[in-house]
Amino acid sequence: MTLDELIIQCKKQDAKAQGELYTRFSGTLFAVCLKYSSNYAEAEDSLQDAFLTIFRTVGQFKEKGSFEGWMKRIAVNTVLQKYRKQKVFDIAREDQIEDAEVEIETDEIPLDFLLKIIQELPDRYRLVFNMYVMDGYSHKEIAEMLEISDGTSKSNLARARGILKIKVEGYKTQNIN
Amino acid sequence: MKEKKHIDELFKDRFKNFEASPSPKVWENIAAQLRKDREDRKVVPLWIKLGGVAAVLALLFTIGNSVFNYSTLENPIITNEEIKIPVKGDSEILQKEKVKSTEITSEDLKIHLKESETNADAKSSKKDFSTEKNFNKTSDSKNAVAVEKETVTSLKTKEGAIKNENEVSEKITAKEALALQKEKESISEKEKSVIVQKNSTEIIAANKTKTDKIGNEIINLIVEENTEITKTEEPKKKTSIFDAIEEQNSEDAIVKNPEPENRWSVLPNVAPVYYSSLGNGSSLDPSFADNEQSGDVNMSYGVQVSYAISNRLSIRSGLSNVDLSYSTGGIDLGTGPVSVALRSVDYGNNEIVLTAFDKGELNMPPPGSGFGNIIPKSTQGNAQILQNINYYEVPLELKYALFSNKLGVNLIGGLSTLFLGNNEISVQADDFKSVLGEANNLSSVSFTTNVGLGLDYKISKRFLFNIEPMFKYQLNPYTDASNFKPYYIGVYTGFSFKF
Repeated sequence: MTLDELIIQCKKQDAKAQGELYTRFSGTLFAVCLKYSSNYAEAEDSLQDAFLTIFRTVGQFKEKGSFEGWMKRIAVNTVLQKYRKQKVFDIAREDQIEDAEVEIETDEIPLDFLLKIIQELPDRYRLVFNMYVMDGYSHKEIAEMLEISDGTSKSNLARARGILKIKVEGYKTQNIN
Repeated sequence: MKEKKHIDELFKDRFKNFEASPSPKVWENIAAQLRKDREDRKVVPLWIKLGGVAAVLALLFTIGNSVFNYSTLENPIITNEEIKIPVKGDSEILQKEKVKSTEITSEDLKIHLKESETNADAKSSKKDFSTEKNFNKTSDSKNAVAVEKETVTSLKTKEGAIKNENEVSEKITAKEALALQKEKESISEKEKSVIVQKNSTEIIAANKTKTDKIGNEIINLIVEENTEITKTEEPKKKTSIFDAIEEQNSEDAIVKNPEPENRWSVLPNVAPVYYSSLGNGSSLDPSFADNEQSGDVNMSYGVQVSYAISNRLSIRSGLSNVDLSYSTGGIDLGTGPVSVALRSVDYGNNEIVLTAFDKGELNMPPPGSGFGNIIPKSTQGNAQILQNINYYEVPLELKYALFSNKLGVNLIGGLSTLFLGNNEISVQADDFKSVLGEANNLSSVSFTTNVGLGLDYKISKRFLFNIEPMFKYQLNPYTDASNFKPYYIGVYTGFSFKF
């Protein structure tokens, strides 16, 4: 079945097609959820909610953009929704963006470690970092989606980079010793 | 190889093709939820229909009541149930029909399998069965049509609704007749099995598959024949009820709106309420029936909580305080013994009380009425009786959105339960005012049927301004069934907040 056919069947709420769609895309969307969530269980929760939203609103998907992109946005929004409910009021401070370059060997650090340090970031830093770096949202878009100011988004990103850099370098020294 | 790399690039590169597989329980949960969705979807249209029925009934009842002046008040509740029953019955009939028709088809299958077995056995080979098919076809249709002509007249029953089934059973009879005929011509079943035993096992197996095939083919043929015959006789019968229902179901599923984002909302509201009566009786005493009576405008205030079942339909309940008042003019006041005073008033333990009478009654008291003991009270201006009633209202209403743009239009229908709070009957004239006591004929719990129109203006996504003119007809406000049929009209105004 082509993706277009699959979408048509999913619009008819066909159970087989829904299963097929899940099989094809759960890997990609779970990766999104893992990056945006603070742990594995939370990511699974979000994946579940995201797929339910996808199946329930697939009728609204117009064949204009990429279906995968549409699903990814739903997944991102599903995670964001959880954090929007628990608002964090911290003082937005425009930090000096530090030099965020690190010296590493390309495949030196395992993916698991990178995922772990992303998940360990404070919620807002993690969301901003993922949206900006991994998924190419602009600060303006991030600000709107997270209901924060542009400045806060920029400052959060800088802090996220700083923390990640320290941890990556920490991993290097640990390994050398 | 060491290289300097920006932290962004590092993460971007490494996560470019990142995929991970979640545990199987995620899909199990999703699948379970989707199954539930599918079941709910079947329920929602029913709710909408019942909601609509309730609203229409409430409307019809109130209109009907004013036109025909029914005195039985429990009608709407009973009618509601009556509506449900035929629906159930219908589906039962449908199901029965369905079951029967499947039974019939399987019988059909058996008969024809027998036929073809007979033929196949007689030949006990794997030859081409096309001739046989033809034979079946021609003889079947000829015989079927011939026999049918007889049976049509003999088997016609009175129930038009189950015609479909009749037809099929007619055909069955035709087929049975044919099968019997054939069986007579050829060998009986027992004999057949003997022959089959004689044959080698391979042939049996081969025959079996062949016969199955033939069976299927024959079924197809029968279906074709049936449709042909039905076409000439009654062209539209075949596709009737089941298909229609199925189509409707699938349409319902497609039409179903996505779920509302914020299901709950809270609506504090306040309303001026105008109290009046459809009948021309009096709640106080039959002697006041022809007096000048008028309702007054009072206030109702309360809060409602609403739950959106779908984007269009919501159900709501709450608690309101309702003050109602009603005045009766054309009266005289006087002081006299309780025995002759207005009976609908609870005067406490007083023996001699202030009470009210229909104008002129005191001038010419009927003999033996005891009115001679009354000392009339002279007042300035027109004296009138004021009845104030306070209720706590618990509504249960369905609200259906006709339009829901920036400006929304909704239909509202439902019931309210009224719990009697304070009430008071007082008399007043220009220079005088006194409380007689409480009414003793008010039901402590009564009901109203409500219909209304809800207009809302969406100030923001969550914040709405509502104006709802509502008509509420009281079903059993008084314990003595006088010809007093009160209702009240309120324009409920307030802001609602979704969450």
